[in-house]
Amino acid sequence: MSLVFAFLKKYRIAASLALLMMVIELTVELAQPYLISKIIDEGIAKSDLGVVWMWGIVLLIGTVFAFAAGVASSFFASYASQGFASDLREKLYDKVQSFSYSVFSRFATSSLITRMTGDVTMLQDTIFMSLRFMTRVPLVVAGSVIMAMVVNFKLGLLLALTVPLLLVFVMWIMKRAGAMFKNVQKRLDKVNGVIQENLTGIRLIRVFVRMKHENGRFAASSGKLMKNTVAALRLTETTMPFIMLVMNAAIVAVLWFGRADIMAGSASVGEVVAVANYALRTIGALSAFSWIAVTFSRAGASAQRIKEVMDTESGEAAEREQTEAGDKALHRGTVRPADKSTGSALQGSVEFQHVSFRYPTSDIKVLEDISFTIEAGKRVAIMGATGSGKSSLVQLIPHLYDREGGQIYVDGRSIDEWNTETLRRSIGYVPQEVLLFTGSIRENIAWGREDASLEEIVEAAKIAQIHETVEKLPNGYDTQLGQRGVNLSGGQKQRLSIARALVRRPRILILDDSTSALDLATEARLLGALDRISCTTFLITQKISSTQAADLILLLDEGRLIAGGTHQELMRTSELYRGIYESQFEKGEALHA
Amino acid sequence: MPKSNALTEPFLQPRPPVIADPSKAQGEYKKKKRAKNVSGTLARIWSYLARRKLKLGLVLFMVLISSALSLLGPYMIGVAVDDYLGGEGGFWGMGWGRFLIVLGVVYLLAPITSFFQSIWMIEIAQETVYRMRVDLFSHLHKLPIPFFGKRQQGELMSRVTNDIENVSATLNSSAIQIFSSVLILIGTLSVMLTLSPLLTLLTFIVVPLMALGMRWITRRTGPLFKERQSNLGDLNGYIEETLSGQRIIKAFSQEEHVKQEFAQRNERIRLSGFWAQTISGMIPKLMNSLNNLSFALVAGIGGILAINGQVTIGVIIVFVEYARQFTRPLNDLANQWNTLLSAIAGAERVFEIMDEEVENKDEAQAAKLDKIEGAVKFEGVSFGYEEGRSTLSDISFEARPGETIALVGPTGAGKTTLIQLLSRFYDASGGRITIDGREIGTIQRENLRSHMAFVLQDTFLFEGTIRENIRYGRLDATDEEVEEAAKLANAHSFIVRLSGGYDKMLTGGGSGISQGQKQLLAIARAMLADPAILVLDEATSSIDTVTEIKIQQGLQRLMEGRTSFVIAHRLNTIRQADQILVLKDGGLLEHGSHEELLKRGGFYSGLYHGQGIEEEAGD
Repeated sequence: MSLVFAFLKKYRIAASLALLMMVIELTVELAQPYLISKIIDEGIAKSDLGVVWMWGIVLLIGTVFAFAAGVASSFFASYASQGFASDLREKLYDKVQSFSYSVFSRFATSSLITRMTGDVTMLQDTIFMSLRFMTRVPLVVAGSVIMAMVVNFKLGLLLALTVPLLLVFVMWIMKRAGAMFKNVQKRLDKVNGVIQENLTGIRLIRVFVRMKHENGRFAASSGKLMKNTVAALRLTETTMPFIMLVMNAAIVAVLWFGRADIMAGSASVGEVVAVANYALRTIGALSAFSWIAVTFSRAGASAQRIKEVMDTESGEAAEREQTEAGDKALHRGTVRPADKSTGSALQGSVEFQHVSFRYPTSDIKVLEDISFTIEAGKRVAIMGATGSGKSSLVQLIPHLYDREGGQIYVDGRSIDEWNTETLRRSIGYVPQEVLLFTGSIRENIAWGREDASLEEIVEAAKIAQIHETVEKLPNGYDTQLGQRGVNLSGGQKQRLSIARALVRRPRILILDDSTSALDLATEARLLGALDRISCTTFLITQKISSTQAADLILLLDEGRLIAGGTHQELMRTSELYRGIYESQFEKGEALHA
Repeated sequence: MPKSNALTEPFLQPRPPVIADPSKAQGEYKKKKRAKNVSGTLARIWSYLARRKLKLGLVLFMVLISSALSLLGPYMIGVAVDDYLGGEGGFWGMGWGRFLIVLGVVYLLAPITSFFQSIWMIEIAQETVYRMRVDLFSHLHKLPIPFFGKRQQGELMSRVTNDIENVSATLNSSAIQIFSSVLILIGTLSVMLTLSPLLTLLTFIVVPLMALGMRWITRRTGPLFKERQSNLGDLNGYIEETLSGQRIIKAFSQEEHVKQEFAQRNERIRLSGFWAQTISGMIPKLMNSLNNLSFALVAGIGGILAINGQVTIGVIIVFVEYARQFTRPLNDLANQWNTLLSAIAGAERVFEIMDEEVENKDEAQAAKLDKIEGAVKFEGVSFGYEEGRSTLSDISFEARPGETIALVGPTGAGKTTLIQLLSRFYDASGGRITIDGREIGTIQRENLRSHMAFVLQDTFLFEGTIRENIRYGRLDATDEEVEEAAKLANAHSFIVRLSGGYDKMLTGGGSGISQGQKQLLAIARAMLADPAILVLDEATSSIDTVTEIKIQQGLQRLMEGRTSFVIAHRLNTIRQADQILVLKDGGLLEHGSHEELLKRGGFYSGLYHGQGIEEEAGD
């Protein structure tokens, strides 16, 4: 909650105005039963037409007044809540961008997305509703009771006794119902889970003839869902009738004592009517209480989830330094030329010494005791089964994660000593899954280096073997990609993301299985073109054809380096490598035979 | 931000857009998925509800009573004021005490009837939804497999979950509320008219005002919400894109760039959201104010009438209360009506699936075989999904028990169709398929399939332990048999190394273990099922070559002694087959062993020496 108030502080004036307007509106409404008692007692009872006119007009003016106040409160509340949400979202996004990658991957991406969208919207709506409506409900209850006591203290006291009782009751129901609905949600998730599984595995279920088994499983979990839902709803459905029951009893009591007082002359008809009217208003407000409690508890959960992100440390020292540098650059509004020159000074030799690594959230070692050296400008090919640690290995080079043990040197200097930004500016990274952004092809390539000229972009595209394809598109480099744009094939997207990495003129190029969708001829042309530019290349691949020319081949198995060397060396020393070679190249040999 | 600015800031917002053609706005605002056949769908929902006719009758009875009581309550208060508090005399000659008892009973019964009305309805609704769910689910399992290929899984999922939930929520409350709203509306109106037509007219003045106000608001909110929605979609898309691509952003040091882009989008949504919320926020204010207005009119003018003796104080009080009761159901009705319509549309989508044609029934005299040898024979088999277009034509071959048959050919050649005919997901339109000399049409479908096991391209693992996942192959297998199967499949060694071993929970889709390990589990599962006929449908195509080498041994063991059909792109699996069937455009192009086909120098030999089948058949 402190988080909410911290962000709302900037909008305190608008928020207070919204509340004030709401109170004005409420006052008018609360005065109504009081005024009608005046009309009855002073107007009708005394047959005084003037009094009726007067109070009638007061009521009318009040209505207009209340409407204006209501509209104004909506305006201010909307301003405050939208501003709040916008600020919060931006802070949250900046915070997430400041995370080091290993901190970032502690959260599931989908959960971060929900926090930034759903949870922020939830808080925004809650604030909006609070300013206009929710704070009003307790005020209606309290105000009605007080007004009833003002009109006639003794009769009003009857309300003052019943209402707190009902409040306790509503809170008790809420607490119990909350737990029950959580249960219902769990059951529903279970039911949906079974459906999801069955739809995905439908062929398997069919061929294993397990339909009866699955139907039984589903009926059982659906049955539980039904029982829990009925139980939870039965509880909440008692709330309203119970409130009505108690308040009705109070009204009967008001009438009973009211008549006695009228007979005794200590009360008027108008007063009795007004108190009864206040009681009726309380019923409506009380029933809204449960809804408010639910909203607040959900908003609380959202605030908690957002706070978790806000309270997370950004990451290691190198990363923070970089963020600060970034902030400064933002204030200056320019790109740092100094950093860039440092970047091109980097040569590109890489050395791993006994490197081990595990992901922050996992206890399984992904890499263990990896050592190798590669000189600047040479090519390393990395092979291994899915899950053997190939991608993890290359991700350590741009310092996306902190390793657990060992050292990684770039140009003989530990990567911990490099400024992370300088290091990354010299690295071109092409990840396994193709990630292009919505925008034009030119923008996507220039994304690698914002100040790249069109010539540089075209040059990168030529090396990546995508230039001709782009030229053939109706809008060339200005063709839009993404949701409303052109759909490129898998291989075209891969080559585009290679171009994006190349436009940086990297000293170290990392291709994480980025040529898998290319046909052999295109891949060969690409590798040939890469030979002509001088940069250290890490190439993760499944194809023997692309490892043969590498200066060093690393063969990984379950996180360990089981063989390393040139193609000829591995053919002699590694049985697994020979196995892979044979499975891919036999047909080639058959052709030669 | 300086203080003075904070005060004026809210007024410096750009003005909201207003569109010229209001009819268009209404269209946009109201555009929702509407049901096509409302009465038909309602009739079917009714057929579910009708199973509890008695209870439903009771609910309707309760609704009638509670609606009547909620009319009677305020009326009696009015009577109390006129006859007992203000004036003398009695109501139907009752004394004050008796009157209060009657009022007490009315006040007691009103909440009780409304309580029973809602919980009984909830019980009926939940039972109905339960039945619909179970019916739908078991129907899904009767549908032919190709149905699932045609549909997007997400869309199907949404029908089975969201649409049914929607029906559930609506049946719980809306259906009853609509009914009672209508009753109360009619009741209130008639009582009001009897008491004082003039005051009734005054109460009604607010209705056109309400309509006018709502029109003014929806004209503006329609486009505003649309704009906000598209801005929101844009922003969410950006968040999703940049967070999914976070690795790239980090590796390319692009944090500042995306922050700025984000800020721009964020500001756009703030503006459109501001006006959408401000204006739509006026709806409850308007409702409230109109309530207040009718209150003022009834009180003021009613007072004047009372002085003239045209109405009593009691009548004014009854009207004040009725006026409140009157706008509420009107408001409810509008809300509930929309929910109801969308629920009907949801129900319709559910029923649509239930109307899909199921797999053909077994013939009455179909046999159930305890054991089969695995001799498979196709004699001039042809088949077409659609009339006049044949997917397979004139396929003949014979597999002896224990042989491995490889199916080779480009995508769309009919390999998978051939397997689907064998497992009777479809029935051949011409020719004969026999197993052990028996035509498969005379064997019960489920019995036939229980003698077959499949290892498919997309290995599917259920949420559950590894043990449960293997046991899926044969539900009554003992723990020892499960482990034995895992050992044969080469899966045992990796399973025992996992934390938890055989009892390790696999979450949805089996994340946490590698693709190759998943495939080993699938092999163990098939091993446990111990079928006479085995189908490997591209079992290794989604795994990398290194992993494939590792699972090869398990696969070999699985295929031993079983008639195996192998669909694969990779040549080394195919080479060892006893027979190779080369399919092209639905016909059997070549047929023979690897050596024979190579010697012949035809299509297969071309594939083998040329690009390789991977390239030809891949996507």
